[in-house]
Amino acid sequence: MTSVNATFGEVAAERRIASAPLSHVSIELGHLYMEDFEAGPERLREQFRRVAPWAGTVRSSWQDRVPGGRARVSTCFLIDDYFSRFSTPAELVPMVLEAAADCDLTIDYIARESACAVSDGVELARLVEDRLVNDPPPDTNGSRPPVKESGWLCNGARSPQVGTVQAMGKANRWAPPLQNAKRGHSIFVDVELWDENGGKRTWSCPFLAAVWQLLRLGLLRTDGRLPLRPVMREDAFPDDWESLPAVMQLNPAAAPFSAYTTLSVLSPRFLPVELAVRTILSQVAVDGDVLRQVVARSGGEGIRLEEELVDRISYVFA
Amino acid sequence: MLVMGEVHTGLLQNSGEIPESTCRDVLQLLSGERVRVSRRPIVYAVSPDLLTGVDCRLPSASQSRIRGAGTVLSRSSITGGRVVQGSSFTRIERSGSDRRQPWSHYLARPGVVEVLGKVKSRDLADGFAEDPPADGLDLGAISARFLDVVQSSPLLDRRAPFKIARTRLRWVAEEGEPAIRFTLHSEQMRTVRLVHTGEFTPAVADLCEDLALHDWLLTALLVIIERARIGGTPGPEAAVKLAPAVDHLLHLWMPSARVDDVLSAYWESLDRRPGFTRQWQSLVDRVRDQLAVHTLAFLREKSGGGAR
Amino acid sequence: MLIFAISDKGGTGRSVTSTNIVYRHALQGNDVCYLDFDFGSPTAGAIFSVGSVARGTTRKGLHDYLLGEGAPEPHRVDVWTESDREGLRTKPPGAGRLVLLPGNEGGGELPAVEEETLRRCVQLFSRLDEEFDLVMVDVSAGRSFTAEMVLQATVRLPSVPFRWLVFHRWTRQHIIAADGLVTGADGLLDAGTRFGHDRNALRDRIRFVRTAVLEPDAAELVGLRDEQRAWLFACDTELRELASRHKVGRTSMLGKIPLDPILQWREQLISDEDVLASKIANAETAAAFDDLAKKIVDDAAWEGL
Ligand SMILES: Nc1ncnc2c1ncn2[C@@H]1O[C@H](COP(=O)(O)OP(=O)(O)OP(=O)(O)O)[C@@H](O)[C@H]1O
Ligand SMILES: [Mg+2]
Repeated sequence: MTSVNATFGEVAAERRIASAPLSHVSIELGHLYMEDFEAGPERLREQFRRVAPWAGTVRSSWQDRVPGGRARVSTCFLIDDYFSRFSTPAELVPMVLEAAADCDLTIDYIARESACAVSDGVELARLVEDRLVNDPPPDTNGSRPPVKESGWLCNGARSPQVGTVQAMGKANRWAPPLQNAKRGHSIFVDVELWDENGGKRTWSCPFLAAVWQLLRLGLLRTDGRLPLRPVMREDAFPDDWESLPAVMQLNPAAAPFSAYTTLSVLSPRFLPVELAVRTILSQVAVDGDVLRQVVARSGGEGIRLEEELVDRISYVFA
Repeated sequence: MLVMGEVHTGLLQNSGEIPESTCRDVLQLLSGERVRVSRRPIVYAVSPDLLTGVDCRLPSASQSRIRGAGTVLSRSSITGGRVVQGSSFTRIERSGSDRRQPWSHYLARPGVVEVLGKVKSRDLADGFAEDPPADGLDLGAISARFLDVVQSSPLLDRRAPFKIARTRLRWVAEEGEPAIRFTLHSEQMRTVRLVHTGEFTPAVADLCEDLALHDWLLTALLVIIERARIGGTPGPEAAVKLAPAVDHLLHLWMPSARVDDVLSAYWESLDRRPGFTRQWQSLVDRVRDQLAVHTLAFLREKSGGGAR
Repeated sequence: MLIFAISDKGGTGRSVTSTNIVYRHALQGNDVCYLDFDFGSPTAGAIFSVGSVARGTTRKGLHDYLLGEGAPEPHRVDVWTESDREGLRTKPPGAGRLVLLPGNEGGGELPAVEEETLRRCVQLFSRLDEEFDLVMVDVSAGRSFTAEMVLQATVRLPSVPFRWLVFHRWTRQHIIAADGLVTGADGLLDAGTRFGHDRNALRDRIRFVRTAVLEPDAAELVGLRDEQRAWLFACDTELRELASRHKVGRTSMLGKIPLDPILQWREQLISDEDVLASKIANAETAAAFDDLAKKIVDDAAWEGL
C-alpha cells in the first residue's frame, strides 16, 4: 500500500486574525474637553491654528518617505463624552468642522471617548487591561504572581510596606521606589488605571487614551475580529451622544482610520497624561500574530516600522 | 538559542469529565480571545496564551550568575474533559546589549527571555535540566498557577474521583541532531531533553505537553493499582479501588494525537524504549483481568451460593 | 478534607493527638499530610521522630511559603522514609502516604492576616486537597491570626470539605475554656460568621476531643483508697454535667483519648509495635487514636446536633 498523506483540520482549533486597513500615519488634531467647548469656537480656532503647521510637516515628511509620494494620512478628533457630557453632536460637530476648515484642516474621523471604554458591547478598556503584562522588577523569577496593586500600574518597584513581618521578627524600614530600566536615577511612575464607586468602575483618562492609541494603531482584536469600524457620516448629526457612532468617518475620501504610526498634537498641559499613557502602553502585550501581520504589511510597502509600539507613537506639544 | 519549558499535569477537580462547553468556559482566561478546541481523536481545549514578565537569574550548570529578562508564555489545557495541564515555556536568546532594556522592548518579543551578557547555551541547558537555583527562573511556579486557575474554577464541583499528585515535566529543546532523553527523577519530577533540527516551533512544546500527559496517565494508573493491592486485599475490595481507573483513565491514552508529523518520530522512539505504550497496555490488561476475575467470582458465588 | 486542630489552652495534647490521628489514618490506607501551623513553636517534626526538622525546617518551610519569602512549594518530609524511628521507616503494606510540612526553625507567630498570605494559604490548601485524602492542620492554641487565616481561607474554598477538632483536657478550666473558644466573644463561631461562614453550618463542623482522660474505673486507679475513688467519681460526674451545660458534652464530642504513661513522658506516635511487641503503650490508647482516625471522616459522626 502506498502511504497517504492525510490532512485533517478543525475550524475551532485554528486561530484567524482579521487585518485592519492601515494608513501611514494617523494625526490627532485635538482633543475636546468641556472647558474648551465652553470657551467658544475661538478657542478651537486657536488650537487648530497651532496644529496646522505640524500636521503639514508630518504629512510632507511621509510623502517624502513613501515611493511616489502616495502617503496615506488620516486625521482624527476625539470628543470627551465620558468624563463630562455637554451639548449635542448636532450642535457641536459642525462647529468643530467649521473651526477646522477655517484653518485649512480636514477632519477625517471624529471619535467619542466613551467608545474607548465600551463600544458595541465590547469592553475595549477591559480588553486592554487583560493584556497588561507588568514590567517585572529585578529578581522577579515567576515564583510569585506579579505584584498587582488593584487599579494601579507602575514602571518599577514600589516602596516596601513599613511594619513587621512576623511576631518578634525584624521590622521593614522605608526604602525608595525604583524604576526598573533606570539610567542612573529613577523616574518612578505609578498610574491609576481606574477607580470604583458603588460598584461602578470609572477608567482613568490616561487609560482611555492608551486604548485610543491602540485603536489608532489598529492593534486590538476581539475574537480575532476588528473591535470597531468607522461608520460613514449621515447628513445630519444626532441629538444625543449614544447615537453617534464610536468613530465616524466625515471625509468620504479619507485614508484608513488606523495607521502604522500616530502623531498627536497637544497642549503641553497633557504632558503628564501622555507620560502615563506611555507607561501603560509599554506594558500592553499586543497579540503576536497581530504584530507580525502589521510588520509584514509595512515590510511589503518597504517601510521599516519601529519594533516597540511606544516608538510608533509621537507627539508635538505646542 | 534554546527553549526551556515546564508542564504540570493533574486530575481535573470534578466528579465526572466535563463537556466541551464547560471546558471553554473554564479556560476563558483572556477576554476577547477564543478557547481553541479540537475534537479528534479526543477533546482537547486550550486557553489563549498568556505572558508573565520575568527579570532574574537563569539556571547554569557552572553556577555562573546569568541574568535574563523577558516574558514567559503560558497556557492551561484540558484533555478529555478530565486531565488538566499548566504549561509554560520561553525561548532564551542572546541580547544585543548588557543592559536591561525598557519593558516595551521585551513585549515586542512575546515568549522570549533575553540574556544580558555572555552565556553558553549548553551551560544553561544543563543547569535547567539538573537542579535550577531556587532564586532562578521558576517556570514550574508559573505553570502550577495556570493549573490552579482551572482547578479553582467555580464551574467545577471539586469532587474528584480519586486523590492524585500532580506531575511536573521540565524540558529543554536545542537545535542539532535529533535526539530525546526522558528521565524520571522523584515521584513527581521528570525531565526531557530534546534536540530538533531546524528552528524551534511551538509544536515542540505541544510534543512535551503530550509526553507529560501520557506520563501522568501512566503514573496515575500505577498509583491506583498500587492502592488496590491486588492479591493483598479481598477481590471485591481491590475491584472497587480499580474502578476509577476504568471510569476515568483508560480511554484517555492517545499518544501523539496532537503531535506534528515532523515530531512524531520522537514519540515513536520513546515508545520503543522505555516503551510507554507497552507499559500502559500491560497495566490496562492487569486492571481488566482483575475485574474479569472478580466478576467471574461474583457470578460463581451468586449461582453456586444458591445450590449449596 | 481539611481538619483543623485547635485548643484554647496550650499543652492540652493537641499536637500529640492530631499527629497520632493522621498516622492512624495513613495506616488505614489513606494519603495524609500534616501541616505545622503552630508558627510560634513548630515542633511537629519531633513527634514524627524526624530529627532534621524536630524544631522546624531550615529549608523553605511553611513560614517562608505563607509570607512569600521566595518559596513556591514548602518543604515536604516523607515520614515513611525520613523518620529516625526504625518502626516508622518502612511504609506498611496498604498504608497511604504520610507527609509532614514543617514550619521554619526559629519562625514566629503571624503578625496579622495579609491578603497575600491568605491567598497563599488558600492556594496551599487547594493544592493539597487535590493530592491528599486528609490534610491535618495544627492551628496552635487560642485565638490567633493563624486561626483567623484558616477561617478566612475556608470561606474562599466553598467546595473543599473541612472540619474542626477542639482539644481539651478533662478538667473544669479546660471545659469552660474549650466552650469559650468556640462560642465565646470573638471565638470560632463569631469570627467565622464575620468572615462569611454560616454560623450553624460552621457549628456542625466543630467537635471536641478530650485528651489524657483518666477514667475513674481505669486500671491505673486500682491502688487508690476508696475515699479517693469516690471523690474521683463525684468529680467526673460534675464534669460531665458541666460539659453538657457548655455543650462540650457527649453529643458534640468526637472521642476521647485515655491518659497514657508513655505520652506523659514523651511526645510520640504510638505504633502497634509499642502496644504489641515492646508493650510500652496501652492498647486502649492506640485503639482510641484508631477510632478517632475513622470518625473524623465518618459522616454519621458529624451529623447535625
Ligand atoms: N493521652 C495522653 N496521655 C498522657 N500525656 C499526654 C497525652 N496526650 C498528650 N500528652 C502530653 O501532654 C503534653 C502536651 O501535649 P502536646 O504537646 O501535644 O500539647 P499541645 O496542645 O500541642 O501543646 P502546645 O499548645 O504547647 O503546642 C505532652 O507532654 C504530651 O506528651
Ligand atoms: Mg503543640
